[in-house]
Amino acid sequence: MPNPHDHPTALTDLQDSIYREKVLRARKMTREERFITGVELTNEVSRRILQGAMARLQTTDESVAWADVHRRASRLRRTHDYGMYSFEKLTQ
Amino acid sequence: MNVEELAIKVIKACEAEHLDHMLTGAFAFNYYAIPRSTKDVDIVVDVTESGGIAKLIGRLEPEIEFRGQVQFDTLTWGKRHIGKPAQDSTLEVELFELFDDPFVQSQFKRKRRLALPQISIETWIPTPEDIIVQKLRWGRFKDLEDARDVLATEGPESLDMPYVENWCAIHKTTDRLEATLARIPEL
Repeated sequence: MPNPHDHPTALTDLQDSIYREKVLRARKMTREERFITGVELTNEVSRRILQGAMARLQTTDESVAWADVHRRASRLRRTHDYGMYSFEKLTQ
Repeated sequence: MNVEELAIKVIKACEAEHLDHMLTGAFAFNYYAIPRSTKDVDIVVDVTESGGIAKLIGRLEPEIEFRGQVQFDTLTWGKRHIGKPAQDSTLEVELFELFDDPFVQSQFKRKRRLALPQISIETWIPTPEDIIVQKLRWGRFKDLEDARDVLATEGPESLDMPYVENWCAIHKTTDRLEATLARIPEL
């Protein structure tokens, strides 16, 4: 594969190659396996988020880490939802 | 609380209240595309029966705390209720009320049964075509990426593309569908 810095389409080619591999890997799984993999990923990510917060805050107290996780998650959700949700139904 | 435990809790509550429902969001997406983690358990609930949503929320509380205030999505004005597990978790529950939008109704009628005894989940999910139409309708960057993932993983040749094209024409999202298809590399 050409170096992305040497060829104008090389970066797109690299992106396509990575995407192709992801799709082909997903296609090799059954739908049920994909569903369960999503569940496992979610549980693993949740565990790592907590561990990351504990390491960042230098604490062994999970409740302190959870408070920080909730604060950050709440801010992230507000950002994602911005403009998409309203507390009032506006008349058109 | 693990994500599957949270999903099962909500599904069981819907069943106990005899409310027709459908698991959507990343759970349904993962079934048809490239698996990823999620922050939400999203469920569409038919609450046409008076008081249905209050009964469902009443059954889920206090283990899942709802904020009391309903939110409206600014595209279709569908109603959303957000619940947080009382136990520490990064997850949330989002209950979407079924409403009289023609596409939302069609999507709900066409839902498929899903049984996964390995993780004790038995529920309903949308078809892949309906997920694509929905994602293209929302049209945020992540939605368009998700639509591409479902199209690429399932393959347009195995999907009911006339159905997708018809709804995209109604929603005026045909350009998004075409652009999304064009971004799928040769596999």
